[in-house]
Amino acid sequence: MFQLTLAIITRRLMAAIPTLVLLSLVVFVVLRLLPVDPLATLLPPSATAADSAALRAQLGFDKPIPMQFVIWIWEAVRGNLGNSINFHQPVTTLILAALPATVELAGVGLLMALLISIPGGVLAYVLYQRKREAVADVAVTLLQSVPSFLWALLLIIVFGVLWPVLPFSGRVGQEVTLPAITGLALIDLLLAGRLHDWLSALSHLFLPALSLALSFAPMVIRVLRSGLIDAANEPYVEVARLRGLSETRILWRHMLKNAVLPTITMIGVQFGFLFSGALLVEMIFGFPGVGNLMVQAVKANDMPLIQGIALLFCLLMLTINAIVDVTYVLLNPRLRSP
Amino acid sequence: MTVADLNTQTGAEQPQRLQLHRLIRQPRVAVGGAILLMMILAALLAPWVAPHDPLEQDLLQMLAPPVWAQGGSATFPLGTDSLGRCVLSRVIYGARVALIVGIMSALGAMLIGSALALIGGYFGGRIDRAISYVVDLWMSFPPVVLSLILLVGVGTGVDKVILAVVLVDWTRFCRVVRADVLITRRRDYVLAARLIGFTHLRTLLREVLPAAVPLIITLFSIEMGVAIIVEATLSFIGLSVPPDVTTWGQMLADARGDIQSALWVMLVPVCAIIVTVLGCNLLGDGLRVALDPRLRLRGE
Repeated sequence: MFQLTLAIITRRLMAAIPTLVLLSLVVFVVLRLLPVDPLATLLPPSATAADSAALRAQLGFDKPIPMQFVIWIWEAVRGNLGNSINFHQPVTTLILAALPATVELAGVGLLMALLISIPGGVLAYVLYQRKREAVADVAVTLLQSVPSFLWALLLIIVFGVLWPVLPFSGRVGQEVTLPAITGLALIDLLLAGRLHDWLSALSHLFLPALSLALSFAPMVIRVLRSGLIDAANEPYVEVARLRGLSETRILWRHMLKNAVLPTITMIGVQFGFLFSGALLVEMIFGFPGVGNLMVQAVKANDMPLIQGIALLFCLLMLTINAIVDVTYVLLNPRLRSP
Repeated sequence: MTVADLNTQTGAEQPQRLQLHRLIRQPRVAVGGAILLMMILAALLAPWVAPHDPLEQDLLQMLAPPVWAQGGSATFPLGTDSLGRCVLSRVIYGARVALIVGIMSALGAMLIGSALALIGGYFGGRIDRAISYVVDLWMSFPPVVLSLILLVGVGTGVDKVILAVVLVDWTRFCRVVRADVLITRRRDYVLAARLIGFTHLRTLLREVLPAAVPLIITLFSIEMGVAIIVEATLSFIGLSVPPDVTTWGQMLADARGDIQSALWVMLVPVCAIIVTVLGCNLLGDGLRVALDPRLRLRGE
């Protein structure tokens, strides 16, 4: 089983390499359309044209674009994504420092989304069965109309201003320093046995993760309900009924298992949606993740950083797709024969 | 005369009228349509409806509360923001950008996406594989990340935002419509059209396209909502439009600083965005159900 898993992931990631190169090329070309000079901020106002040309040459911007791309890819393969113009630090350092926060946020967000949408999907299906689907439909459509950054603002209004019970800025309280083990605050603080700080990290994570979850859940609810409706017509449901199993048991133990399969595919496809959401949610909550970094990079026209983060996002998306494929095979015995 | 015309002549006109009737009777279509109509009217009539200029600052009236709250006045029905600008007027003018971006980008994405879907799905083979590959490639980007990169590349402005949304979201149309075209092109009436001697172009436009139209309309409506959210997102970051154009996202960004003292300044644009997007989604959902006989039977 483990070997199979590993084989699938490796195969998928290998197949993704050309995609990754092409995607980087797209980003590279688009960023070269830039109307403003990204180097302007690096030079003092008194700089002459010669200074500018010297800097260009130093950073490699004077070479033809195809050449620049080849150099960039070659360096990227060796783990060097260049230096951020704005932060004066290697792009890889900046990204690696911010990545765990985003992974943690997206992971907890996904978990919360599932906690909301699995009961939600079952409820929507039960309402459908009782011919009350209009209620569920309108509720889901309403939820679907609120993007994650509006959830973020609404949650801040409710839990930060009107009823100030939760923090809405930063990753942990100011007095807490994070131990650097895995970079995931929740795991590191637990490993360090600092329960109080762990609670601080959890409470800081709660609202941003909930914002992501609330905007993601309606999609999952829809697919799950649809999957349950399909499952209801399968012969095994009738068999289970004949065996005398209760409806609740059939629903939760048999139908749900099958309805989860298309849901997992959907989660994989829509994961980019979660990352997109994380961009603004991180910015609003001052959460030091990759999304926040991207917003700052975009505002400062920081080309190497934008390029690096774009590459990272594509890599994450491709990895997630590979993981989804594996989960799919593991959960669906029909696909398991080698 | 097309094969579809033949159907019409044999008395298919009656059901078609019924379908229009059913469309309006679908509560979701009615409510969604009404919301959008209201927003479009507000946007079109903004100079006459709005009580103030959206950029006019009244520094003596900073953060004035809305009319129903204590100390509110009818001069500023929804109060003012931190620069003394009328919130109601700003939200009405904001509808202009939101709807222009919503309609134009949905239109653009629809045209590009559906055209490629028709070509790929109908002809199949190498063209189809090439188009599908580009779609897959495009979809490996988280959508907002791609539009951010595009905006950095092409610069800011309403037209650039529209361009960015079109370039990101045409794939939604392409993928879904292609799947539909793949089924349609195997239908007997498409084969019949080819046998009568229709050119490929004519078959595509007169036989294959009409079958996909309900789906395309539904996607258009939902895409409008997506585009409005993307615009709000981008202008919230401060990338979408120059500061002298009022947008909902900008209002949100401005209101963040006063969240403790003046909640309504934030809540008004939040509600405007949610209601408009809800209108698009309701309309899209309603149309999907009303136009698709299979779903109608299933009651989904």
